[in-house]
Order: sequence, then structure tokens, then C-alpha cells
Amino acid sequence: MTTSDVALSVKNLKTFFYTNNRCNKAVNGVSFEIRRGKTLCVVGESGSGKSVTAASIMQLLPTLSRIEDGEIIYHSERGDIRIDTLPRNGSRMRSIRGSEISMIFQDPMTALNPVFTVGFQIIENLYYHTAMRGRQLKDKAIDLLRAMGIPLPERRVDQFPHQYSGGMRQRAMIAMAMACNPKILIADEPTTALDVTIQAQIFDLMSTLRREHGTAILLITHDMGVVAELADDVAVMYMGNIVEAGTVEDVLRHPTHPYTRALLDSIPVLGRGRNQSVRAIPGATPDPLNRPVGCQFADRCTHRIDRCDRMPEETQMTATHRVMCWRHEELANAPR
Amino acid sequence: MLTYIVRRLLIIVPMAIGISFLVYLALDLSPGDAVSRMLSPERTVDPAKLAELRKALGLDAPLLVRFWIWFSGVLQGNFGRTLTGGVPISRILMERLPATLELSVIALVLSSIFGAILGTISALRRRGTTTDNVLTVAGMIGVSIPEFFFGLVAIVVFALNLQWLPVGGRLLPSYTSYWDHIPNLVMPALVLSIMMTAGVMRYARSAMLDALSREFIKTARSKGLPEWRVNLLHGFRVALTPVIVLIGFRLPILIGGSVIVEQVFQWPGLGSLFVMAVRNKDLPVVMTIALLTVILVLVVSLIVDILTAIIDPRVRLGN
Repeated sequence: MTTSDVALSVKNLKTFFYTNNRCNKAVNGVSFEIRRGKTLCVVGESGSGKSVTAASIMQLLPTLSRIEDGEIIYHSERGDIRIDTLPRNGSRMRSIRGSEISMIFQDPMTALNPVFTVGFQIIENLYYHTAMRGRQLKDKAIDLLRAMGIPLPERRVDQFPHQYSGGMRQRAMIAMAMACNPKILIADEPTTALDVTIQAQIFDLMSTLRREHGTAILLITHDMGVVAELADDVAVMYMGNIVEAGTVEDVLRHPTHPYTRALLDSIPVLGRGRNQSVRAIPGATPDPLNRPVGCQFADRCTHRIDRCDRMPEETQMTATHRVMCWRHEELANAPR
Repeated sequence: MLTYIVRRLLIIVPMAIGISFLVYLALDLSPGDAVSRMLSPERTVDPAKLAELRKALGLDAPLLVRFWIWFSGVLQGNFGRTLTGGVPISRILMERLPATLELSVIALVLSSIFGAILGTISALRRRGTTTDNVLTVAGMIGVSIPEFFFGLVAIVVFALNLQWLPVGGRLLPSYTSYWDHIPNLVMPALVLSIMMTAGVMRYARSAMLDALSREFIKTARSKGLPEWRVNLLHGFRVALTPVIVLIGFRLPILIGGSVIVEQVFQWPGLGSLFVMAVRNKDLPVVMTIALLTVILVLVVSLIVDILTAIIDPRVRLGN
């Protein structure tokens, strides 16, 4: 993989939260790359640090958190930009946000401002990142809504978010994010708040956009079905670490880390009947303020050995597949 | 929207009648009447003469009849005459109303603007900063100390000690133009606006903090908008709705407050007239002021509803 294929590299990112003088290492040394025009799915349960990773890339972290270490490099057409070194809301960061890297959120109901029309909120983005003015702005907003499959865009553009249905709101949100044709689209669980039937439509729309505009997508999800459907690359996160990463083939066909395996085992499979054993992962995630010293998954792991009291190293198994487990060799050879 | 406004305006009529009647009833239940107030307690007066006087003033009729006589007069635009002195009430209103309106409107405008600005500043400076702490404490002092105290302190400091401003009064005989009484206006207007400024500020602060914690603020930042636009357009606009509702509901308090402030500064407005009328049991005067206040409050709440609907598209009037 050459650098020219990569849109964004994250190296050893550490983002910590500080509350009541205690430190929560929400993202504790995470590295990955988003390839141009490809979809990277980040999976993991709540609190694994997926959303914080996304927020770090956009520098949209809450006040009490900060990027402690590591690098976030955006490989723009004008050269590499170290995002982590830019001031949070400075003009350089702002010129990247919404134009080169944009983001859509979980709940389109709350993510859109209720007192402004959808058109106004799309136009805002265009106004700050393009040379368009006046009538052009509105025409572009209508075009965008039409491209996102919103019927009667000429009328819809002047309506308020509460006049849209849930699925349409997310389409409007995507229209806003895609307004300036960004190189990377970060989607933080974009369909969690939507109906299942709408979910498929939104994902269809996203893959169409990726194909047509070559937009790289960072999709945060906890739905393995979505991963199988959309991902080119997969990163599995657990308690602030990427425990396993690789192409979708690597991770879904040859899952190695016990956590990845457990995640895949916990999905019911259609056709196996009612009595299939869905194995839930035993135990609960550890207290983020009081983490185990070694492997974060050790307490819940069926393959635990003494060595797991130390943090496992990241091991490259193939050119694309890496895993963070002391017993990766045995496990790679052991069938699931 | 128009039908809604018309309907709301029509509701004002029965509300005004009902509330006026309650006020009338309350005054009637309290001991004594206008005649007993006119008398010096030291002298004994012939009861027959008293009865005659009561009859002349129309105080001998039953409660409902008296209320009707007063109310039908009001419907014809005749507010009656004062019991003590026989001056037409409409003439007194013409003298007093501008003074009160001047005070209340200035205080309302000042407190809305300063309250909203200070509250926003307080919210934008994060919790625990000096600015936020100072404003929070000032807000607490502002809402908890009564106006007459501020008024008296202001008189002692600025009128008596520093002699910058006159002690009280409004239009003095020596004044030749309207602008001459501005120094008289400063203290009462500021004192009257203190409590409301503090109230609006505290409310604006929490409304702003609430708005800024919402998800759409993150969306606005993710679009690369400058901070001023994120905070003042996306945040403040959403925080504005509850603040306007609060200001509307505070207006009656402002009128109530002006009763006290007008007393303290000898301001010849409706407030001081009201106090005098209640003392003298001058029923027609009390009733007229009460009726005006009721109508004002109802009209203001209608205006607030219309304003909220204009500012917040989610609010639809009518259903």
C-alpha cells in the first residue's frame, strides 16, 4: 500500500478524558489508515472509543478531553496536514472541516438545528467553503437534496427539519456533509436511530456516493451485518485499542482475536433455526477509570494465560492483517 | 394564525371581567370604605350624614349592582370619578400612565438586552471562570435583594452623598423641555431593571448552556463554521425562545415592581396612584388600574406567543 492510496493515517493516537482529576484513556494508542475511495468500518461495543476516535479526527472533542499523543495525518492534494497539531477551532482546522472531511451523526433529529431551514443549513456549508454566492447557493442546495433522493427538493429546501421524516433528515444531513465534495466522510452510527428499512436506503446512498465521488468513508457501527455488506477494511476496537484490523476478508473470514471471534459468535444466523446457540460474551467491559494493566479483554477471555497480565503487542500477521493478542499464532491455526 | 389571534383577543374580554370582579370582591370584603377613610377618627359624625354621603357616592347599593354600574361605565369609556376629590379618572390616567409606561418600557428594554448579553457571556465563559463566577453571584444578589433596598441605597449614595442625581420626582416646575427630567429617570429605571436583568441573565445563561450542549452545535462545528457563528447563530437563536417567554411572563412583575419603585422615588405614575387609592379605598381608581393591568398582561402574553411562533418554527399557533 503506497501513501498515495491513503487519505488519512492515524498513528498511535491517544485521546484521554479528564473528569474529577481522573483520567479515562478512551483511545489508548490507535493506528489505522483510511484508503482513498474505500470504506473502513470501525466496530466495537459502546465505550470502546470508536466515536472518540472519529471526534479526534475532526477535533470535535469535548472540553475535558484532549489528544495526548500520536499523529493524525490528512494526505491532502496540497500535501500532508498534521491535524492533531492544528488549533481546535482555528481557521486551518475549520477549512478542513465540512469541506475536506465531513461528518454525519447518529441521530439526525438532534443533529440538525430545529430553527433553521434545511436549505439554510446546507447553504452555510457552501458559503464558508466555496466561492458560490446568492442564487447559486440555493440552486446547489436543491441539486444536493435531489441527488440524495429527496422528492420535491425545490419545496423541501425551505422546510424545517421537523417537517422531514427520520430517513429524509439523515439524507439532508448527508447532503450537508457532501456539499463540498469531501475526500473523507465520517459516519458515526448513521442509522442507529432509523428504521431498519431506511437503514438499507441510507447505506445504499452512501455506497453510491463513494463510487461516484471517490469519497473515503469511515463508518462507525456495531452491526456486523453492515460491516460484511459495506466494508473494504475493518478495525475492531475494544476499550480504546484496535484489537484486530485488516481487510474485510481478513477479519470476517479469518478472525483471530478472541474478542472478534466472540463478537461474530454472538450474532444469530438466519436459517440455523431457533435453537442455535448464540454465545453472548461473558462479563462486562471493565471500568474505564480503573482498567486492567494488561490485555483489556483478559477478564472476559476464554483463552486467557498468565502473559495476558501484560499489554499484548500489535502483531502483523499478513501485509494487511494485524492483531493484538499474545496467542495469535495458536489461535490463527485453531479453527473457530 | 389570524383566527388564532382573533380568538385570543376575544378570550381577553371574559378574563378581564372575571378578574376585575374578583378584585372588586376582595376590596369589598376588606373592612372600611371610602367614607370611613375620609373621616378623622377623633371626631364623631352623625350616622345619618354618613349614610347620606354613602348614598351620594353610590356605596349603599348591593355589590353586584355597584360592580355593574362601574363596569357598564367602563364599557362606555367612562371610568368614573375618584371618590376622594371627584376628579375624572380618565384625566388622572392621562397624567399618570405616561410616567409609568416610560419607566416600565425603559426597564424592560434595558433588562432584556443586558440580561441576554450578560447571560450569554456567562454561558460562553466556561463554568468556573472568574467572569462566570462574578456574574453568577451578581445574578443571585440581583434576584434576591428587594427593589426598595436598592432604591434607598441609590438615593443615599447618588442623590444625598454624591449629589449627582435628584432624589426623586419627575417633571419639576423648573423644567422647560422633556429632556430636563432624564436625570430624574436614571435611578428609578435602573433600580427597576436590576431584578429583571438578573432574572433574565440567569435564565439566558442556562438556556444558552442547554443549547450549546445540543448535538446540532457539534454539527455546526463539523461544517467548519467560525465559533461566533456556532455560538451566536446556532446556539443563541435556539436559546432565545425560552428567554423571550420568560421576559413576557416577567412583565407583570415589572409593573408590580414599579409600584414599589415609584413610591421610593416619588414617581407620579400608576404605581404610586394605586397605593394611594388602596389606602383611601377609592374603588373606581383601584378597579381601573387593575383592569388596565389585566388587559396589559393578557395582551403581552398574546404577543409573546406570536413572537415565539415567529422565532421557533416548531411552534404552530392554533392547534
